[in-house]
Amino acid sequence: MKDKLREAFDQVRADEEMKNRTMVLLSQKTKGYTRWRAQNYRWLVPAMLCMLFLFAGGKWLYFTPMLEISIDINPSIELGVNRFDRIISVKGYNRDGEKLSDSLNVKYMNYTEAVNEVLQNETIVALLGEDEIMTIGVIGTGEAKSMTVLSNIESCTAGEKNAYCYYANAQETEAAHEMGLSCGKYRAFTELRALDPNVTAEEIRNMTMREIRNRIDELSGEGGNGTDAADSSADEENTCRENPGRKNAQDGHHGKRHKHRHSG
Amino acid sequence: MGDNAMRSEQEVNRAIEKYSDTIKRLCMIHLKNYADTEDIFQTVFLKYTLSAISFENSEHEKAWFIRVTINACRDLLKSFFRSRVTSLDEVMEQPAEIPPDYRDVLEAVLSLPQKYRDVIYLHYYEDYTAPQIGRILGKNVNTIYTLINRSKQMLREKLGGDGFEG
Repeated sequence: MKDKLREAFDQVRADEEMKNRTMVLLSQKTKGYTRWRAQNYRWLVPAMLCMLFLFAGGKWLYFTPMLEISIDINPSIELGVNRFDRIISVKGYNRDGEKLSDSLNVKYMNYTEAVNEVLQNETIVALLGEDEIMTIGVIGTGEAKSMTVLSNIESCTAGEKNAYCYYANAQETEAAHEMGLSCGKYRAFTELRALDPNVTAEEIRNMTMREIRNRIDELSGEGGNGTDAADSSADEENTCRENPGRKNAQDGHHGKRHKHRHSG
Repeated sequence: MGDNAMRSEQEVNRAIEKYSDTIKRLCMIHLKNYADTEDIFQTVFLKYTLSAISFENSEHEKAWFIRVTINACRDLLKSFFRSRVTSLDEVMEQPAEIPPDYRDVLEAVLSLPQKYRDVIYLHYYEDYTAPQIGRILGKNVNTIYTLINRSKQMLREKLGGDGFEG
């Protein structure tokens, strides 16, 4: 058996052609037996691709806004918040808003710190001192995170008697941004337009929230004191409840808002 | 490992002349087609060219070639796209050149499961002992003894008497 196998295996031989091809190829691959390190860098290609994917993925994770915080007094600004609760964009929606966003240095800050920074900004402090109304809106897609953010922002604004917080659905902001308005201004605009169809987005853009509120109060025939203004603001927020599932959560926040109002 | 680790062209060509037949036979018992055999040739000899290993003697060198070839064949077979059918016609470029008697023997070897083929070749052709085969294949010596005995039986069954009783 051994001999038979040996003889059979002996029949199998590498042909000269293949040997020669291998010799030529080796000579090519080693650049005439001088350079062989070049091919050792081949692993770099997949490694670089991996790095690129990780980098792009990380960038996407970090720079995709999860929700927005719309702050309106007269300056209207919107802060984009990513999934790590960091501010990734600051945008002004009118002249004052642009001025304010330029003066703010809140990028990459935690959103509560950023809101505090806005509240402590000289312009904002001065405006609130003049009894202007400030609205802070959390604009999300209805997930629990938006509610957490809303409640955190409410605790930030607890000391401000004229600051009102609300939640709005992201769909609403699309219409607002199309008109070049921030969400807070847009909501006031839709409310005012219901009473005065001639009002334009242009007019609204540079009016203060207090002015808009007073116009609404005038047109709806209510008194112009702060409490009424705040009440109609609450009504306005009712119109913004687009997601019935969120009603309870928002009611909870309403309660809190009333508390602020009475404390003022 | 610096540039001087690379072997010279003369050294590589000598190895090609010396070990090509061994590699070809190992390829035959592992692979499915001729193109793969050529791949293995290039892989094994390139590895040899770039390897810094210094061999104690020619036996050591031969065992290195056998081990590297078997590993290269296994790596190739792990590749997703390979088919699982083996026939001599596909493996050999010119199978017709082999006389029918030997063809039958080789076909019988190829018809056995993979784990027996290496053992048959290394034991019957290269004259390695079971402990040596165990070292080359990274298997237990007792396993090798079992594989040798079992393969002997199976070949006998396939090829009948005719000198296969020994």
